[in-house]
Amino acid sequence: MPAKNLLEEAGDMVILTGKTVVSAIKPPYPYGGEFVSQFLFALKLCWFPLLISTVAFGYGAPGLQAANFLVLFGAIDRLGGFFVLASIREFAPFVTAIVLAGVAGTAITADLGARKIREELDALQVLGVDPIKNLVVPRFLALMLVTGLFDIYALLFGIFGGIVATLVNGAPLGPFWATFFTNASTVDLWGSLLKTTLYGAIIAIVCCYKGMTASGGAEGVGRAVNQAVVIAFLGIFAFNYVFTQTLLATHPEIQVIR
Amino acid sequence: MSAISTKGSGVLESAGVLMRFCGRILGEVYSLKVMKYFGEALRQAGILILSSTIVIWSLTFIIGLQCGIEGAYFNRSVGSPAYAGVFAAWCDLRELVPYSFGYMMAAKVGTGIVAELGSMRISDEIDALEVMGVPSMTFLCSTKLLAAWMVLPFVYLSGVGAGFLASYLAVVQQIGEVSSGGYQLIFWMFQNPPDLIYSVIKGMTMATAIVLVGCYYGYNASGGPVGVGTATAKSMVLNIVLVHIIGMLGTQLFWGANPNAPIGG
Repeated sequence: MPAKNLLEEAGDMVILTGKTVVSAIKPPYPYGGEFVSQFLFALKLCWFPLLISTVAFGYGAPGLQAANFLVLFGAIDRLGGFFVLASIREFAPFVTAIVLAGVAGTAITADLGARKIREELDALQVLGVDPIKNLVVPRFLALMLVTGLFDIYALLFGIFGGIVATLVNGAPLGPFWATFFTNASTVDLWGSLLKTTLYGAIIAIVCCYKGMTASGGAEGVGRAVNQAVVIAFLGIFAFNYVFTQTLLATHPEIQVIR
Repeated sequence: MSAISTKGSGVLESAGVLMRFCGRILGEVYSLKVMKYFGEALRQAGILILSSTIVIWSLTFIIGLQCGIEGAYFNRSVGSPAYAGVFAAWCDLRELVPYSFGYMMAAKVGTGIVAELGSMRISDEIDALEVMGVPSMTFLCSTKLLAAWMVLPFVYLSGVGAGFLASYLAVVQQIGEVSSGGYQLIFWMFQNPPDLIYSVIKGMTMATAIVLVGCYYGYNASGGPVGVGTATAKSMVLNIVLVHIIGMLGTQLFWGANPNAPIGG
């Protein structure tokens, strides 16, 4: 893709973000029903893939590998403290984002893309219905809320993966909880929630944009989904890097292991 | 209750159909039937290299940066900033490079295959192939799998390299609490060739699963242009779950009972 198109698309997405935020705030608010149905849609679609993904990730990556390492030093009780860093700060947010982008985001792009190529979006505009206010805003708000809430769900099941890893190593759970709760801080939790909520915004904007600009007949919708999920993933991880870096650098107190 | 059981058997049934489909493609590659269309496989390999390598490298690079800064801050907090290399080595090689490779494969290659094959299916091109006497599954699906096996190990290895470079940049150049030599010493001490081989096996298992799932959803797409979009979205659900399960099973299998570290007993 030529660099100019890339820049143009990025600019268009920023413009869409601005328009979405403005029309979400400006009355009237006709998007209540659509908001609820999108929220339930994402909830229904994502809860099971997310459950499997977070337990698998929590058990495998931070659970087994870190437990292996800590067992060498006879310090398996420290696994709880490590899970604050691994689960709350890192993998619960990004696994949530990956699952939401891959499951709910792709469904949104496919849905809007189908409406675009059936010319339903144009029909809406002719009827005087603003597609941004009635289609993008509810999806944007619903995904932000649902991604933020799913973060807590992912945290719980990620920690469950850590518990399984502790039990597999034949260690008691008391020390795991003790180090977990001494290390857990409010900053970690709100950082995690804020991060995932913003991921939700990224996913919603990218997926809505790609769906609403789908073109090119039969292959068009599929292509749009493909591009949407690639851009969403890159955007999520690039944002994750900046956010983690900023949070760690500005809140040195969360780096202290207690 | 009856609704649940019918739904359950539906899931089982489609899992069985999927397994049979994958078995057929694997069989065609294994029995070298696919060699009849080796030229097509090479073309697919070329497309894979040109369209997917850069995004895969970008994602592994960003993940490498992430492992680097988390490792640097974590090791500083336990009072051993010089040992950031341990965290980076294990985080990159064993866990997050395979995962990020799987994510990007699913996003870029998996959905790309569904979109391509799905649009061929609904514009009746696949039926046209059959009419011309070309076995469509061999020509379209098996060649893609062969192309993936030919190209992706190298893409994966270079992706590992991108991750390593990024971790080095993050720990040594950005945070800067450990010298370049000190970092390198610990970093290379805590990994060895078996680790790399296991990591490649993990990544390639994910890639194989993703290509097969993509072929299945694309080849069996239905319902017009909208159906292609829906199939693409559905393939992503299965791919993400598979990536995480393969990642976990790989860790359990390769490092579950053996930390493979140069310390301890």
